[in-house]
Amino acid sequence: MALRRIVKELKDLQRDPPTSCSAGPVSSNDMFHWQATIMGPSDSPYSGGVFLVTIHFPPDYPFKPPKVAFKTKVFHPNINSNGNICLDILKDQWSPALTISKVLLSICSLLTDPNPDDPLVPEIAHMCKADRTRYESTARGWTHKYAMG
Amino acid sequence: MAAEVLRYVQAALADEAGCADAHAAALATLCDALAFTHPDVLLAAVDVAYFAARLPAFLAAGQNDLPVFAARAIAEAVDILPQWAAVFLQHGAVEALRDRLLAADNIELAEECLRALDEISQECPDECLRLGVAAAALHLFDFLSASKQKMALKIVTQLVQECDDADVPKAMEAAPALCNLLQSSDNSILGSALSCLGMLAADAHGKAEHMDRLCESKVVDTAMGLLDKDGWKILDDDTLPGILALLKHIASVSEKAVNSLFDLGVCDLLKQMITCYSCSPSGSDKLEMLVELLYQLMQPLGTSGQMNDTTEQNAHVDQLASIVTLITQVAKCGALSSVCYRCVVVIGNIVELSTPTFLVGLQKTANLSSFLTCMLARKNRHIVFQTLEVSKTLLKKHHQFFFESFTKEGVKHAIGTIQAQEKNRNSSERLKRKNNTQEWCMCFDLDLDSSSTDGCKIENNAILNLAEEIKKSFVVVKANKKSPHRFGCVIKFVRDFFARLNRHALTVLTQDPDLCKELSDISRKFLSDELPSTSTFAFAKSGSAKYLVDYLSNRAYLKSNLNNCEDLTEQLKEVQHRLQKFTHLALKVSNGSSVKPLGILVDKLLDALHMSYESFPVILSDHGQRTRESTMIPLRHSRTQESESLDIKFVKARREKVLRSYGGVLPVSLSSKPGEMEAILWPVICSKGNAQGSSRLMFSYKGTKLQPSATIFESLVRLMNAGQSDIVIDSSFWDEEYRISYNRNKSENIPSTSSCNTRLFAVQEKLEQSIVKDPFFCSLFLGKLPGDVDESDPSYDLLFTLKVLEGLNRFSYQLSMDQQICKFAEGYLQNLDDLKVTISPIPQHQFMSNLLTNKLELQMQERLFEDGLVPSWCVYLAETCPFLLSFSARWKYFCLTVHRSFMGDETSIPDGSSTPDEESAAPDEEEEESDAQNEASKKTRKHKVTRDNILESAASMMTKHGSSTKTIEVVFVGEVGTGRGPTFEFYSTVSHELQRLGIGMWRGDNNARKAGEAGFVRSSFGLFPQPWSSVGTSTRGIELSDVVKKFKLLGHVVARALLDGRILDIPLSKAFYKIMLGQELDIYDIPSFDPELGKTVLEFQALVKRKKFLEKSSEKTPNRNADLSYKNVRLEDLCLDFTLPGNPDYELVPGGSEKIVTLENLEEYVNLIVDATLKSGIVKQVEAFKSAVNEVFALKTLRMFDEEEMERILCGEQDSWASSKLEDHIEFEHGYDASSPPIKSFLEILREFEREDQRAFLQFTTGAPQLPLGGLASLDPKLTVVRKQCDGNIDNELPSVNTCRHFIKLPPYSSKEIMLMKLKYALAEGLGSFHLS
Repeated sequence: MALRRIVKELKDLQRDPPTSCSAGPVSSNDMFHWQATIMGPSDSPYSGGVFLVTIHFPPDYPFKPPKVAFKTKVFHPNINSNGNICLDILKDQWSPALTISKVLLSICSLLTDPNPDDPLVPEIAHMCKADRTRYESTARGWTHKYAMG
Repeated sequence: MAAEVLRYVQAALADEAGCADAHAAALATLCDALAFTHPDVLLAAVDVAYFAARLPAFLAAGQNDLPVFAARAIAEAVDILPQWAAVFLQHGAVEALRDRLLAADNIELAEECLRALDEISQECPDECLRLGVAAAALHLFDFLSASKQKMALKIVTQLVQECDDADVPKAMEAAPALCNLLQSSDNSILGSALSCLGMLAADAHGKAEHMDRLCESKVVDTAMGLLDKDGWKILDDDTLPGILALLKHIASVSEKAVNSLFDLGVCDLLKQMITCYSCSPSGSDKLEMLVELLYQLMQPLGTSGQMNDTTEQNAHVDQLASIVTLITQVAKCGALSSVCYRCVVVIGNIVELSTPTFLVGLQKTANLSSFLTCMLARKNRHIVFQTLEVSKTLLKKHHQFFFESFTKEGVKHAIGTIQAQEKNRNSSERLKRKNNTQEWCMCFDLDLDSSSTDGCKIENNAILNLAEEIKKSFVVVKANKKSPHRFGCVIKFVRDFFARLNRHALTVLTQDPDLCKELSDISRKFLSDELPSTSTFAFAKSGSAKYLVDYLSNRAYLKSNLNNCEDLTEQLKEVQHRLQKFTHLALKVSNGSSVKPLGILVDKLLDALHMSYESFPVILSDHGQRTRESTMIPLRHSRTQESESLDIKFVKARREKVLRSYGGVLPVSLSSKPGEMEAILWPVICSKGNAQGSSRLMFSYKGTKLQPSATIFESLVRLMNAGQSDIVIDSSFWDEEYRISYNRNKSENIPSTSSCNTRLFAVQEKLEQSIVKDPFFCSLFLGKLPGDVDESDPSYDLLFTLKVLEGLNRFSYQLSMDQQICKFAEGYLQNLDDLKVTISPIPQHQFMSNLLTNKLELQMQERLFEDGLVPSWCVYLAETCPFLLSFSARWKYFCLTVHRSFMGDETSIPDGSSTPDEESAAPDEEEEESDAQNEASKKTRKHKVTRDNILESAASMMTKHGSSTKTIEVVFVGEVGTGRGPTFEFYSTVSHELQRLGIGMWRGDNNARKAGEAGFVRSSFGLFPQPWSSVGTSTRGIELSDVVKKFKLLGHVVARALLDGRILDIPLSKAFYKIMLGQELDIYDIPSFDPELGKTVLEFQALVKRKKFLEKSSEKTPNRNADLSYKNVRLEDLCLDFTLPGNPDYELVPGGSEKIVTLENLEEYVNLIVDATLKSGIVKQVEAFKSAVNEVFALKTLRMFDEEEMERILCGEQDSWASSKLEDHIEFEHGYDASSPPIKSFLEILREFEREDQRAFLQFTTGAPQLPLGGLASLDPKLTVVRKQCDGNIDNELPSVNTCRHFIKLPPYSSKEIMLMKLKYALAEGLGSFHLS
């Protein structure tokens, strides 16, 4: 079941690719392990960066959410140094009606609109709230350093 | 030889001019000689009188070693020949020893003197006491060695024990020193000093002047000092009762002492202690002592305070008033009449000493009237008499006010009832002389100084006269007052409400929305406005319980015809609908109030239940003699003596023609019921032997039929003690022979309920809603409590109502979720995301009855309980309404009764599979403890297990010996360790091994499993069996048969752990425990172990319901526009096929991997997933588990526990929370560190959390109720507490969390109390969304 669904999602992605991201299996013999790229949204300090994201599908996908993590370092209040993302639809708000493409879009909008009130990295959240300019310049710096290689 | 030596000594000593050294040498020789010579030789050789005369002189006058040797000689002499003590005494040895002790010039000498005094005082305590030895012995106490300190205390103990009245002043001389010793840090010294003081107090009993002396020595202050500032919490179990007994004795006579006790704040202390012990399972003994102390405190106040000056109130009464509420609670729940009596007296004294205005306030806070009603319902004449006295006093103090409150709370009614009863009693007594089994009178027990031994102090007519007197005073008021009381209105409203409910009980409300709304409006009004102010009496009197249960259960319908199956389906739906409505109303917190209406309702019901005290009579075999400590829980008891039995002569009834007569006398065990005797008698007395049927015989004793549900023994006892509540069996009872007659049971009453049952089950099968399948709903739809019960008993309706309410509380999530799904189906809810349950149940412990728990505890202290002296109400409550009893009481009950069933099983199974020969044939595998004399070895047995292959080794050991009656102990092959250590390790190792990844037992096993990954199944919501398709028997190299074997092992291990008191370390899910307890799982249980799957399946279910609803209604009004997509996605696009989620090899239907889920087959898909997950997929595993448990003991005996309690029993109180670990594994950041005051309070709160609070806290902060294997330490990321930034008032903020990072954001509250309150609130609210978060 999971495989059928994953194949369908891949086809949908290929047929109708989203503007700011792309995704696909790492190797053709393991459909449960994908890699995706996210373009930093233009209205954010991540603009211009290309971010690598790994995706692992659980065997009971789509009943359980996929495990999604950044491989590229990101300076963001809701993404920690291991690349873990704190996003409700990847946890308790997951629903089989969601797809990888929707998840990736949500991550894009998280990059644009960080949620410092519910942070994964409190230090960044604090900076984001107290000194927005500094936060943005740091984020830009990181993007330049890690996501434009 | 010895004689020669002695002669030499005598000669040496006789030389009065001899130097001291010579004398000393002679004495040293004497000591040696005394120690090694045979008493007979001594007796012949020694002139005692001579030595006795000389030695004291040496003692008194000697220098250096001389007195030491002299003292030692005296000690040795008296030790070997005690009769010499008197001789020494005569010659002034005691005075000499005493003076030497007091002179205190030399410790060695002092210690020798002590030894000598010890020996002498054993023989002549009175004389020694008179000579002031008691005080002297304690003189140098601090300088003595530890062993001599003990000796000094021993001397004092010997002396003060039961001394003559005349000697009391002398004994009192020791009191100051003893008081000093109370501050000792050595527990044994503290204990002995306490017991000495206790004896002193007992000696001085009744003599105020002696007592005052005792008080002067600051005994009260010191004792209070020990208790104060939570000191009582750390005192050990012997010391605390010692102190309480001491205070009690002192307070009983000395007014001075009472005053100083009050000045030292004894009330606050008592308040804390009573609060603590009245909820602790083992506190009943201490509670009894506390009440006794209170009783004694009140007595002097009562007698001396003969000032009928009502304007001035004794200052102490103000203090006491703060504990009146507690006292009334203790009395209401007290199983012991003596405790209740004392409470009533205490209250009476308080009332006597209070001013009217004060009493009015007291009535409002403590509801004295309701308390009086409760006490008047007791049968004990002493309690009733005292209660009447209190009522009289209250009326005298403030007639108008208390008359009204008496009417409202039912005191007036109760007095009327008593009056009628007493009249009856008097007239019937005139007819027949009093029954020989008079109720045990408490006079002697309560007032020791009442020397009259002839009968009860309360005269026959006293109660009647008092009742009539009070009645008369009521009349006076009535004449004065004409306006209707509010009471009338309340009872009318309650009656109306329930009458209306009842009228609607037979109409199908779902079809009439107006009526439905009206009814829920009035219910809401009743539950939130009226109920809190309704008195228990009015509530009970209006028959509320009966109406309510009629309405909520199927009982109203049962009267109608049941033959029509369609009707029944409709009815069941209707009842379910009502339950849902009521649940919603009862669990909704009305604005402004913090209490849920259900909580109030349950309180009222329990209060009303406590009035039917008599329905649960405690039967004790011998009064005053309780043989079991209330704290002790015996796991396995050794049957040392023959079990008691009754001799019963069975005779044929006179009219019986068909049956033959039975000749002899049969010994009948206490646990035998009529049915068992029938099985024995029937073959002998039946002439034809053809009649079949369940009950063929009817037994009666003196013309009264014996109940088939009670044991013969219980029926006999109750018949012989008719009219009494609690029964104490006379010792002569056992010696007699009883005649029980039998005849054929002619009334062929085929239980009509059984056919009704089967029909109901058939209907339930048909209903697509599985909500009705649980046993709880079965009893609900049968309209009666299960089992043989007397439905006419006043407690029946209350029990049934409580059972229904407890059920709807427990199933509130299911009921409410079902309601939400229906709302969605009918279009009242638009969005699937709104499918949430907003109500949360009230805590289970609110359903617990303290009174019944106490009664059961008392009954279980009875020596003959294991032999079968178990009144039928105990069995009945444990099986039908276990929620009324505390967990610890049930656990004790389980331990005491399961053992019997366990033994029974063993004897009934003929030795087949494991004969002794077979065991001896394999001597390597197990060995019997060789030391046969060792008592323990008879009960335990060691088995060898290999560590390398522990699961297989354990399985084969358990299969062979799992059902053994002996406690199993484990030894690992090749290791030397034996005993508890390896056995505990065995159980925890096995339970760990059963959680390994890759053994196919549990859900989540195949999640993210990389090839050959070692480790354990992660189970934040608890382990639940992984479904196995019935087609394939092996997946990924795992054989189903192996999995089944492992479940069998789990069953064995679980059962043995329960029986042998071992602890497992395995986080089983609540749902799995539910299976263990015989409950039916349904779709609503899936979220509890797999939230994601459960949530989606419920959403699918809601969609199915909506589709069905639309199809039904579209016949009338076509509505094609309704949204039937799944969150705006067509179901086909979800790309689901008919395989089990997570396991593509498990096809739900043949060819299922090719069958796509669509809206049309969604219902089939949901049903198949639910079935595979909860039933067909796990049936083999579950059956293996259950049958393995049943091999050891009957699994159904566990049904008196709930799933949380099962976990507590099996896994123990896990130490993941051990206080030392808390700081180590929690991090503090952003404004907090380990020393910040809010963190300190926070850690304290965490430590004080009960298990359920801990779970809620973990759920709240980490999103899972369970910690991973290894506890807090292995939580990743670590639990972190950060400071929450708050703008406004900090104390209005709530803590919040980030479950991704395991953050809890805690505002820096101003106090620990506020923090606790806010945390609890957040946890409770968080818990409501537990299933779907």
